[in-house]
Amino acid sequence: MNINLILGIFILKGWDWVGREKSPLAALSWRSPSSSVAPCRALHTTISRRGLDEFFDLPENWGETTVKSGAPWTAKQLRTKSNEDLHKLWYVLLKEKNLLLTLEQEAKRQRVPMSSPERIRKVERSMIRLETVVNERESALRMLQTGQEKARPGAWRRDKFGHVYWYRFKEYAIPWYMNRRYKRKSFFTPKFVQPHIRLRLEKYLRQRARKTSLERRTQSKLKEKFPHANISAS
Amino acid sequence: LASRATNIYPLYQLGNPQLRIFRPNWFLTLVRPGKEQPPDTVQFRIPMEMTKYDVKNYLEKIYDVPVGAIRTRIQFGSNKKRNHLHQKVKQPDYKVAYVQLAQGQTFTFPDIFPEKELKHEEGSMEEMQEKFMEDEKQRQRLDPRRGGVTEWFGL
Repeated sequence: MNINLILGIFILKGWDWVGREKSPLAALSWRSPSSSVAPCRALHTTISRRGLDEFFDLPENWGETTVKSGAPWTAKQLRTKSNEDLHKLWYVLLKEKNLLLTLEQEAKRQRVPMSSPERIRKVERSMIRLETVVNERESALRMLQTGQEKARPGAWRRDKFGHVYWYRFKEYAIPWYMNRRYKRKSFFTPKFVQPHIRLRLEKYLRQRARKTSLERRTQSKLKEKFPHANISAS
Repeated sequence: LASRATNIYPLYQLGNPQLRIFRPNWFLTLVRPGKEQPPDTVQFRIPMEMTKYDVKNYLEKIYDVPVGAIRTRIQFGSNKKRNHLHQKVKQPDYKVAYVQLAQGQTFTFPDIFPEKELKHEEGSMEEMQEKFMEDEKQRQRLDPRRGGVTEWFGL
């Protein structure tokens, strides 16, 4: 099922980080000149249109064993940025990750160790945090506007084995009573499964009781051996 | 990112607006071609979920690269090798895209790992070690005035 996906990017072409001296991992405190407190001139950045060269590092860094890179973005720093900045940062991180992946593959090909491989993990972490921040904002907005906590509707349902789980709804073109495959799914527990559920519950409770009694026994033994020792909070 | 891993796209019916993806979670890897490719062809490794149209839009919008023809294939990762427990180990499958650039542009894969002279800093341990090794090697070499003749021959 190939859907024609057009990537929606707005105002990307008008901004890029200044040269490649500052890597996207350093926290940029970049303010638009109109809203800054201190008077400063408007900052002009030339958009770097290097095309396929953006898959490779600056030529000075080719062949180096270590390349300096900054710390990953933290969620706290990202929360201070506007939505446009986060959107642009996402693409900056995306391009950086592509660069690092090409470098990794080429290093494997040439049987040479890759220079500073921890950069990939840093970029991954930054992207994950960016995603969480954006989702937080989206969820807050949705909550205010519609009162819904989750973007995707769902319901608590029981499966055949008595487990209660959060079933997330899927979009269909036809109603459920016309959907043959959906009707074959049973979201109820038959009566003959009740004894099995009871046994499972008993097993779970027995395991939990065993764990707590084991902990109590080890603590009492330790206290016996080392009466003056500080008992840990765990 | 777990949320994007099992991505459910909204259902499309005639008249629906065009689906747009903000902050795409797809990464392309430019690879050196194994076999000789025409000068305008660039080889990428792309995630399995991407299609030709996705790659075209990705390169045009994010990298501003004019894309002509594009062909994809899926490379099967071998399941033949076995580990020390004699279990089969699967190398992951990946999709390869051959992108031909438009407007007569060409691309050659550069040499990213050129030979570089490793110069140690003055007074460091490595420099002293290097010097010592150099001196040792110099002692092993014969007198250059002998012209390659070994010590076995007298005088």
